[in-house]
Amino acid sequence: MKPLHARYPFMRAAREAVEAAEIDLATVVQRGDPAVERGLDRVESALEDGTVGEPHRQTRVELLSYPVARVLVSIVDEAVLTRSYARAEAASAHERFTDELASTTQLQSTSGDSLTLRELLAEFELLEHVRPEAGPLEEADRYWVEVGPYLDLAAGQWGEEWRLVNRPLTDGEVPLEESELLVLCRRAVEQRVESGLPLTVPDAIAEPLGDEVAQLRETLAELDLTRDIDTVVPDLFPPCMRALLDQIQKGEHLEHHSRFAITSFLTSIGMSTDEIVELYEINPGFGEEMTRYQTDHIRGETSPTEYSTPSCATMQSYGDCVNMDDRCERISHPMAYYEDALDEADEDEVTDWRESQES
Amino acid sequence: MEERTRAYLRGRFGDHYRRADLTPPPDASEREWGYIPWTSSPGTTMVRHRSLLDLGSIEDFLARERPRHVYFSAGRYDDPSASSMGQKGWRSSDLVFDLDADHLPSVTPGEDTYAEMLASCKDALRKLLDFLETDFGFEQLTVVFSGGRGYHVHVRDEGIQHLDRESRREIVDYVRGIGLEFDALVEEEAVGGTAGRSSPAHKRTLTTEGGWSGRAHGHIMDTVEALLASDESAAIERLTEYDGIGDGKAAAALRAMRENTDQLRAGNIDIHPAFVSVANALVEEVVEGDNAPIDEPVTTDTNRLIRLPGSLHGGSGLAVRRIDRDELDAFDPLVDAVPETFVGHDITVEVTDGGQIELYGDSFTFAEGVHSVPEYLGVFLMARGRAEKGQE
Repeated sequence: MKPLHARYPFMRAAREAVEAAEIDLATVVQRGDPAVERGLDRVESALEDGTVGEPHRQTRVELLSYPVARVLVSIVDEAVLTRSYARAEAASAHERFTDELASTTQLQSTSGDSLTLRELLAEFELLEHVRPEAGPLEEADRYWVEVGPYLDLAAGQWGEEWRLVNRPLTDGEVPLEESELLVLCRRAVEQRVESGLPLTVPDAIAEPLGDEVAQLRETLAELDLTRDIDTVVPDLFPPCMRALLDQIQKGEHLEHHSRFAITSFLTSIGMSTDEIVELYEINPGFGEEMTRYQTDHIRGETSPTEYSTPSCATMQSYGDCVNMDDRCERISHPMAYYEDALDEADEDEVTDWRESQES
Repeated sequence: MEERTRAYLRGRFGDHYRRADLTPPPDASEREWGYIPWTSSPGTTMVRHRSLLDLGSIEDFLARERPRHVYFSAGRYDDPSASSMGQKGWRSSDLVFDLDADHLPSVTPGEDTYAEMLASCKDALRKLLDFLETDFGFEQLTVVFSGGRGYHVHVRDEGIQHLDRESRREIVDYVRGIGLEFDALVEEEAVGGTAGRSSPAHKRTLTTEGGWSGRAHGHIMDTVEALLASDESAAIERLTEYDGIGDGKAAAALRAMRENTDQLRAGNIDIHPAFVSVANALVEEVVEGDNAPIDEPVTTDTNRLIRLPGSLHGGSGLAVRRIDRDELDAFDPLVDAVPETFVGHDITVEVTDGGQIELYGDSFTFAEGVHSVPEYLGVFLMARGRAEKGQE
């Protein structure tokens, strides 16, 4: 077992290493191996901050915690958990390989314990479908990806700029920056992690995990991810969303991710497409048709995927996290901020924006 | 349609199929087959979920059954004759495009003649093929005249066979230009200093290399060059036709074009705010002018049944014809899709709905009543429900 396997436990080589070591998962969970605690941590972290948490210092424990986590997710068997977990594994892997590839020199890569771009692409059968624009694969800063694999990974994901129609597709290939190629790899990880879930878990493994499963169910219930808010009080919006809405209403140009963030937020709190158009209308440059299209898309009406509001981490990485206040310190998601703010507000003083529009 | 007409058409379809030399699609035995028989019931009932095993050889089946319409699936399956899609076991699917005159914005049903509709459809087909060949780089294309009001394109490249509905929808949206957005099309680059959101230090460029961006750039350059070649007042008048462009902005945009033509040629459209507004409008023009108005559900459905090339269309009596790519320009559906079987003899028909028709290089004007006409015309009128078979 190599540290590389522990960092990327979803890779085929990692799985083979576990198999080669002839480790019996039933024994691991029955004796309460540290991998169980770390496995639970992987899933809990996925729910709490969209990552898989801090790695365990022992390679063996870290690697084994991955099959344990998959088993836990399978026993709980809630779509929202499975999705969050797969996204979190992908997000953590993405962070790791982005750092690793940035610091990897060709000398280091021969040692076998750093991931190379070649290995990453080969892992997901992308190597033969990705071509560096110039020079060797590892040194290029622009790549051409065949349209089939591009669509497998990007269709229905992310924002407008990922839609094929907005890409300069040429002779069957889509050009991508290196960072965009790594986003596609992140999606490939997510698909890999999600595939096969939920697993059929034998009783010998499921029974000793009763406490962990109960704890996960509790965490899920606390987060109440399925709750409908359906209350629109702009004064209680998190500062990031208030700032974006202000800019729209002032008629300023928003970048896609920003527009996506505010629109998905408004959709998540129960606003209809018509209401969003009305709220934006102050800005003539926003374009009613575009707003409708985008809102329907986010809502999942014109696309099979329903998009959710970006987390604080994503907002930060795009530079959309502004004017943080005390409540921001306690939450990790703009939706959590808004729910918390609604809970604390005096009900009599809360007026839904939609009701004030009617009068 | 009366029984004697139905019997006549079925018999003559049979004669056609006995002589015809059909090339079935690749992997014919992995596909689902379906057909519509010549029945008297008002609703058309398709017999489907048949495999090649059930039918025997396609040619024998067609000569024996003499169906009104014949279809095969875009999809390939483990068990093509299973009665539900779930049980069939989907393996892969060709990517199929359908251009139908009924869905073309350039066609006015009831006003345009059949020949005009088909000509509009061929224009749309050229646009579609440009996307499929230039942008998508597809190599295994089969272009087919549908026998009715349009064209089909079957794409069989390996790289698209496994695509799911969602990915196919992205392809549909691409050729139709749906979701194309100016802001997403241009690449924004911070130029010097900090990249503050409202900082003006942004350079917006359109890539000239391909895709819609390349098309948009081409159209912008064509327009710019035309504007610069015309005299000042005409150019300004032309520019003020765009929303939000007054005389002042038009003059500013024109000056910017003149001074920054090389920049524009390289794709930098951020030469002046007024010009950006013009470019935005030009992108909309490109979508309107260049998109291929395909029928979306056909392409996104991985289980779609499509007409068999080489078969006859029961609603026109015309042949569903594969068209060689380099013969597309010369292909005239109203001549080249007339089946040989129906050429060279006359039959008697009783016309119930008269009018004018161009077929096989001739123009026919006929009134209601009994006429002796070339058989291909008679078959066409009967299949369309405009005539019944008369006594010979």
